Amino acid sequence: MQGIVKLNLFQFSTIYLLLFVVIAIMKKTGINQTKLLLIASFRMTVQLVLAGLILTYIFQNENPVFTAVYILIMIAFSIHRVLAKHPDLNNRFKAAIALSIAGAGIAVIFFFVGVVIQMDLLNPQYAIPISGMLIGNSMTGITLALNTFTHSLKVERNKIESLLNLGVAPSKILLPFVNQAIETALLPTMNSMLGMGIISLPGMMTGQILSGTLPLTAILYQIAIMIAICTTVCMTVFSSLYFGYKTLYTKKNQIIL
Amino acid sequence: MSVILTAQKVNFKNILYYPDIEINTGQCTFFSGKSGAGKSTLLKLFNGTLSPTEGTILYNGKSIEDMDTVALRREVLLVSQSLYLFDISISENFREYYAYRNLTMPEACEIQKYLSICCADFPLETLCSSMSGGERQRIYTAIYLSFMPRVLMLDEPTSALDRQTGFSFMENITSYCKKTGITLLIISHDTALTEQFAERKIIIMQRR
Repeated sequence: MQGIVKLNLFQFSTIYLLLFVVIAIMKKTGINQTKLLLIASFRMTVQLVLAGLILTYIFQNENPVFTAVYILIMIAFSIHRVLAKHPDLNNRFKAAIALSIAGAGIAVIFFFVGVVIQMDLLNPQYAIPISGMLIGNSMTGITLALNTFTHSLKVERNKIESLLNLGVAPSKILLPFVNQAIETALLPTMNSMLGMGIISLPGMMTGQILSGTLPLTAILYQIAIMIAICTTVCMTVFSSLYFGYKTLYTKKNQIIL
Repeated sequence: MSVILTAQKVNFKNILYYPDIEINTGQCTFFSGKSGAGKSTLLKLFNGTLSPTEGTILYNGKSIEDMDTVALRREVLLVSQSLYLFDISISENFREYYAYRNLTMPEACEIQKYLSICCADFPLETLCSSMSGGERQRIYTAIYLSFMPRVLMLDEPTSALDRQTGFSFMENITSYCKKTGITLLIISHDTALTEQFAERKIIIMQRR
């Protein structure tokens, strides 16, 4: 094993040639998304270059405050992304989601870095990339859960109204929708665990191997991160919906959708 | 005759203003009025799924604001127009609804009795998903009736029924409720049915 080949700017820019293949296929099939592809590629490049520069600075000037601020900004962005997609939720529901993303994320990050890796909680080399993976996945999970939850509440409006009229407590009516949404949100993570190592070599492991880490060390990290992701997604989704759905009915047992 | 439900100076969202209403125990009261006059909203105010902006609703002389509204809805049962049946058989629908109320479902002959009152004499294993709108409406009403509430509120119960079936349905349900002492509130646009079966008529109008 040897360290990773450092890409010079010319080598790196050749990868953009592949985008012409995508554009050609889009033109051929009449998919009118060339502009989006170019904007997305451009934004990704700028955002990652900025992240690279900031991370270089943080790694060269190790200071727990920088790490903490970086993690908090990641959390704030992911909360913003989730809430922007569900503007109709009431404020208390939104607060439950924000606190769940932050609380579950920070708890699992600290457990991973402090207990499993046994490093300083705010060691940037570990805390930042692990936070990125955990928060990113919990953002996807909660978005999926909220989509499922709000969609089924809309579709099943008559059922909800009927049961309410029958004298069923709102919590009993709404809980099955909560459980179903949690299940839907967890399935992708569990499915990817099933196929891991056979169908896919996951990103973090690939990255570590590329940079010269022994595969056996890389898989330990990968297994650990998958379990951590599954736990973070589960905690975030459960706590968001469990505390969130209680904001959908009043003391007078009226459901506000 | 005692009064079971009262609406006093009720207004909903400063849009719907209601006259003072008293509903007598055991009586069959029909509500009529133009679309948008707030008839369905009034029934939802009676069972506490909506709250008045101003005014008071009394059930047996007590304000429903101070009551456990879940318990109230079990006594003042609303069969709304937005009906829901599970995509399973008739008897399984009874089982599902009873499970939500933590009750064991009634015997087959009991279920048949309620279906028959609602002019829905179908085999119990018939799948509800394959039924017409009018058939589903009658089964839905039969399920709710079987809970034997103190007050039964039907919102346009015959809207999807032909004249003959609508008439039989109304005849059966009014006489059953009379016999068992259930207070019946019915919203209907059908003047012939109203004339025939109403013991009392209330027209809901809004000041414009």
